[in-house]
Amino acid sequence: MGNALEEAPVRRPAAPAADHLPALLLGSVFVIATCGLIYELIAGTLASYLLGDSVTQFSTIIGAYLFSMGIGSWLSRYLGGPLLKWFIRLEILVGIVGGFSAPLLFVLFEYVTSFRLMLYTLVGLTGVLVGLEIPLLMRILENRYEFKDLVSRVFTFDYIGALLASLIFPLVLVPQLGLIRTSLFFGALNVVVAAVALYRFRETRTYRRRFSSGIVVALLALSVGFAYANRIMTYTETLAFQDQVIYAKSTLYQRIVLTKNDRELRLFLNGNLQFSSADEYRYHEALVHPAMQALPRARRVLVLGGGDGLAVRELLKYPQLRQIRLVDLDAGMTHLFQHNEMLLKLNQGALLNPKVQVINGDAYQWVRHDTTRYDLLVIDFPDPANYSIGKLYSTSFYRELDKLLAPGGLMVVQSTSPYVARQSFWCISHTLAAAGFHTIPYHTYVPSFGEWGYVLAGRNGHWRGDAGPLPQGLRYVTPATMREMLHFPPDMAEVPTDINQLNNQVLVRYFEDDWGPYTH
Amino acid sequence: MPNGFQAVRKRFRGVRNDFRGVRNDFQNGRNGFRGGRNDFRDVRNDFRTVRSGFRTVRNDFRITADLYYGLAFLLMPDSPAPQCTFMPGRREFLGRTGVGVAGLLLSPALLESCAPASSRAHIRGSLRGANKATGHRLWHPDKLPAPTSTRQTDVLIIGGGVAGLSAKRWLHRHGHHDVLLLELDQHTGGNSASGQNEVSAYPWGAHYLPVPDNRNQELLDFLREAGTITGFDAAGLPIYNDYHLCHDPEERLHIHGHWQNGLVPELGVPAEDRSQIARFFALIEDFRQAKGADGRDAFRIPLDESSSDPRFRELDHLSFATYLDQQEFTSDYLRWYLDYCCKDDYGARARDVSAWAGIHYFAARKGRGHNASGADVLTWPQGNGFLADNLRRQAAAGILANTLAYRVQETPSGATVLAYHADKGTTTRIDARRVLLATPQFVTRRLLKDVPGRPAVAPPFHAPWVVANLTIDGLPQGPGQPLSWDNVLYGSASVGYVNANQQDVRQGTQQKVVTFYWPLTEAPPDQARRQAYRTSYDEWVTQILAELETAHPGITPRVQRADVWVWGHGMVAPTPGFLWGPDRPRLAAPLRNTFFFAHSDLSGISIFEEAFYQGIRAARQLLDAS
Repeated sequence: MGNALEEAPVRRPAAPAADHLPALLLGSVFVIATCGLIYELIAGTLASYLLGDSVTQFSTIIGAYLFSMGIGSWLSRYLGGPLLKWFIRLEILVGIVGGFSAPLLFVLFEYVTSFRLMLYTLVGLTGVLVGLEIPLLMRILENRYEFKDLVSRVFTFDYIGALLASLIFPLVLVPQLGLIRTSLFFGALNVVVAAVALYRFRETRTYRRRFSSGIVVALLALSVGFAYANRIMTYTETLAFQDQVIYAKSTLYQRIVLTKNDRELRLFLNGNLQFSSADEYRYHEALVHPAMQALPRARRVLVLGGGDGLAVRELLKYPQLRQIRLVDLDAGMTHLFQHNEMLLKLNQGALLNPKVQVINGDAYQWVRHDTTRYDLLVIDFPDPANYSIGKLYSTSFYRELDKLLAPGGLMVVQSTSPYVARQSFWCISHTLAAAGFHTIPYHTYVPSFGEWGYVLAGRNGHWRGDAGPLPQGLRYVTPATMREMLHFPPDMAEVPTDINQLNNQVLVRYFEDDWGPYTH
Repeated sequence: MPNGFQAVRKRFRGVRNDFRGVRNDFQNGRNGFRGGRNDFRDVRNDFRTVRSGFRTVRNDFRITADLYYGLAFLLMPDSPAPQCTFMPGRREFLGRTGVGVAGLLLSPALLESCAPASSRAHIRGSLRGANKATGHRLWHPDKLPAPTSTRQTDVLIIGGGVAGLSAKRWLHRHGHHDVLLLELDQHTGGNSASGQNEVSAYPWGAHYLPVPDNRNQELLDFLREAGTITGFDAAGLPIYNDYHLCHDPEERLHIHGHWQNGLVPELGVPAEDRSQIARFFALIEDFRQAKGADGRDAFRIPLDESSSDPRFRELDHLSFATYLDQQEFTSDYLRWYLDYCCKDDYGARARDVSAWAGIHYFAARKGRGHNASGADVLTWPQGNGFLADNLRRQAAAGILANTLAYRVQETPSGATVLAYHADKGTTTRIDARRVLLATPQFVTRRLLKDVPGRPAVAPPFHAPWVVANLTIDGLPQGPGQPLSWDNVLYGSASVGYVNANQQDVRQGTQQKVVTFYWPLTEAPPDQARRQAYRTSYDEWVTQILAELETAHPGITPRVQRADVWVWGHGMVAPTPGFLWGPDRPRLAAPLRNTFFFAHSDLSGISIFEEAFYQGIRAARQLLDAS
């Protein structure tokens, strides 16, 4: 009987049960079309999340996907034999490949170096399989309809499916299910189409049992994936964060993670919050303006660290500055803040400004060899959590900075929290004093961080909080705020500390003591 | 007919369909192509990346393979333990899929069960050593060519180690410029030899100098010239260059699976042992402050400045181990630690060195600086190569490297020395008015075999050492203090390893060079030396990695280069009776104002300060004789 079926490839399938079967197939066109577009959207979204630059990502993903669909359509001509069997087989395959695409890409992203190669391979494979579907269905339905009806109906359902997909994806699926579950869910839908076709067409009897087990295994795998989606996300570290992770990348030096919710964007480096878009202006205004307003004739600024460009954004509010040089170790970081759309909006393209020179290099190395004199040095390093970073808070480092300071110049150092890490904060201040600077410690409240401290340092004590005009449009720093920032209530008041030197990194030990109770 | 018509229509439809299909295909293709062109660029870039960094892609597949492999291994615990198939993934991967699996795969037992080639096949490196081939020609001077040229010099220094360089510098500073120095090796510096690769400079031998005693004026002057002392504070204390003072964290000990701060065992040490350790250090503090009847410090560097009070000197007659037994220091932890200290400074164990020397190690450290204490040390990526280079730089002219002095004969006007140039294969006859031998005693003895008057003293104990420099791209480790300057493994035969990148102020440098030190003290020196010369490169690497794997499971795949240096005669050991017995002064005494002697062997303690001092002492004798 198998022979009888296989020798009639183009004839209409033997005795359909009833007329609603073509309708069933048209219904499956609708489902297939929805699934197909969903996979494309998932790949595009995922690529934008992970690689940034959504325009390029969506554009190239759609292109690659459509082109692969074209290859699939072209390949469909080589499929002979019982078309329904091919169709069922194809649906199972699409379900597995498309369904697992998102979890697979998330996991691969962490480990592979040329993620793009893997991404486009997977997109291409899904595209080819999806591209086979519609031509195959049209051939199956060929003799049930007039050609004009066939084309009209198939494409109508195809496009309606596309519309549905494009609407529910951003509005329902991503917020409710997340990318991984969406992907797995639509994979399962594809497999269900295969199952329905398998049970509703009589000519599938001969291979029903074999395919059934395939379908069961595929559905089971997809459901397990669905149930364990959280685990997969944990595996990809993303659940370590409260909000949805929209970007994660391990560079040579650190792990960069961006998370997003309705209100804010957060940047984490190695799991430590660097800023929240909701209140970072407080941190960065307080970092830059107290020093800058006192330097009306400043021409050159050196920023060490601060690869997010947010401090530079504040600096650019002073038209008298001619050159801002930013030295950040991590090219992955500055590249992200020069290319990612959301982040460019946040830093107002600061790192692309012609006045700004971005150097990816080691800060210590840089200051030892730089011979320029700067009016302001902005030191925005990560907290002194290890002995390597601790060297950037040592008397030796500050003495190197002294050589870079123009007469009358100032420097400002982010100095961790004077409330949580009181010893650490005052240790930084005392270390700067030991390196020969007059210091002006101050602090501010940043809701997402808590109390945060800075130390302003210069060769003389001439700094004044009301020296110059502040730029228009600041949201936090005013002369009154600056006065407040200088006042340290008793719970943050100065404590005696040792001086942080290269051969005795007391700061790292203070920092461990200070933050220990908060992290254990 | 209708059927025929239908058939035609059907055929036509088919053709039309085909046509549309092709057109659709074409349109799809064109759309696809437009998107695809951008995409192609990306892919082309990716391919470039792939081509240039083929390793990274291979790594990707390795990671995938690891993932499956790890899973399979976890799921099927009964399956045979994987042999040599482990592919090193990234650190994150190791971290997350369980250090356990990695540790199991890399445990030393499994390493041995593997074919040696496969687990270490990626490690490149070579076996090196002080110029043994040229040096051993000294044993057969008759086979060396007859001199083809002659040369005159006022002073000839044989040996370009720290003592020779120090003597040369001293003579130069005192107006003696007609000085020629012969060095057997390609580079001067002796035990302060160093190397350099793309990651870091690194030491091949001595690698630090404790903050010196401020009474050691010559040494302070030298350090001032070298830029290690940047000035003096109001109280006259030297201000040390912060980049030269060893950066924190300085020392850690791997004990009971944990890295503790400092080298004196503390973690998991029972109270009884702790009280013995405390008692020992209290005793040392007494010795540190003790003065003899002659008013001199009981223990000082240079040791010739120490008191001659017999109360202290008699400690030189017994071994340190015997002394410790007498004082009832029986704690295994303490005894291990003291053995470690003796190996570290003398290349010998507590049972081999005198009690005076054992105590001197601790009690002679009396340095103080404006920004440093006696416990602080000065170090450089290239180790004491920094000091040796600075010594040389201060009197750089007149050094002949790759040159072996092999015969010394006394003449009425001084001495004649035959010197073989290893790279040219020729010999020069050098006529010198005075000769300063800054060579180890076993070489001095051989050189002077035709010169009468030299006391017949058995050469002192010289232990062989193995030093390995490993370039690593990560250091997997258990809990405790992070990588420090000096890293010691409790219970190990080695004296641990030093981080050559400790003074590096750069951030996020994954690659590092660590220098592993191993004095071969298990057998008597001659036997250990012969065995060391017979050991192959691969055997050294196997042994060193097996040792490191105990504290750093999974380090093997992270080692990129391993270079091994075998020091046949590493350093002199102060065996009982040698420091304050009759031989040392006799060996150091000049011969008829023609031959002068400088070497740390003449101190009996092989540290920079002693070699530096011996060089100056011999140079002063030479100047006095002029």
